[in-house]
Amino acid sequence: MAVKPIVTYPDPVLKAVCTPVDAVETVSQLIEDLVDTMRAGPGSVGVAAPQIGVPVRVCVIDVSKNRHGKDNNHGLLLMINPEILARSGNSVMREGCMSVPDYTGDVERATEVTLRFTEPDGGVREFEATGFEAVAIQHEMDHLDGMLFLDRISSLKTGLFRRKSYK
Amino acid sequence: MNVCRKPNLAHFAVTIIGKDRTGIVADTSEVLYKLGCNVEDSSCTMLGGEFAMILIVSHEKPFSKKKLEAEFAEKNAGNGLSAFIRTLKDDEICYREPVGELCLVSVYGSDKPGIVYRVTREFADRGVNITDLNTKLIGSPKDPVYVLVLEAALPAGMSVEDATALLENLKKELSVEISVRLITPVSF
Repeated sequence: MAVKPIVTYPDPVLKAVCTPVDAVETVSQLIEDLVDTMRAGPGSVGVAAPQIGVPVRVCVIDVSKNRHGKDNNHGLLLMINPEILARSGNSVMREGCMSVPDYTGDVERATEVTLRFTEPDGGVREFEATGFEAVAIQHEMDHLDGMLFLDRISSLKTGLFRRKSYK
Repeated sequence: MNVCRKPNLAHFAVTIIGKDRTGIVADTSEVLYKLGCNVEDSSCTMLGGEFAMILIVSHEKPFSKKKLEAEFAEKNAGNGLSAFIRTLKDDEICYREPVGELCLVSVYGSDKPGIVYRVTREFADRGVNITDLNTKLIGSPKDPVYVLVLEAALPAGMSVEDATALLENLKKELSVEISVRLITPVSF
């Protein structure tokens, strides 16, 4: 078991576009560390490799223990070179991130994503995720492209209504 | 979690308000920058035709409020902006993060006196802590509609359903729509 420290912004690894994985066997230890780190984080539902300082396209997700995801999930997902093939719908959720402590913001995400990724045994998996699991997938996959939720904040808290013009 | 600022810093609450124009933020932050102040926290918005800034600023000790007041008095002379500055005591610059759920409450209906008061009194009496609040008068002069949106931290053990039930009677009494939804942030 190896719980790794979570890298926080402004560490440049969080803004890096991560490298694709060529051979799955090279990331088995990394995947184990990511799962251990996720399990150790209070309420954590996912960790991406750059969050433990490794800029490769790997992330792990498990929303099954979260109140928003417990009734609609695919269990533990170990994702190598994940791709979103299609997305639809949108919803706003207030997100936070272990790599950006003490801040939260409203982020708009697709409510359904069609996902393809390689598993640690080399098999390719493709399915549709919805709801909270879809949000978690988009958040973690953003890390692989150097995107933080701060890059996607959709509104100021006070931006709920179109303002009148005062002339 | 209890969040405390650094003890070597003097903290001040600064409020600036005046008729909206371009440059209010730039002018204000220029004063602070030149004095070597940090903007620790701030919220600025248009209210009516006014622009209002509320800032918590810090400066390494020793630093007096008089210095800030003098600089703002000079900068704002004749430009219609008013500045109010208050020194914050050490126990004022610590805050306790809410332990309960965070919820967003929308209240709207035909304008009438007491909407803000009744809703917030109900919450205050039950230990619900308002963390953000916004009101607008919309609609037409003939049919004015009042909109109140607030964010509140519920006390430990209170659910969104409990908070909704708390406001149920006000719906009928004030003839307003009220909805409460959970916005407790999810950390990834």
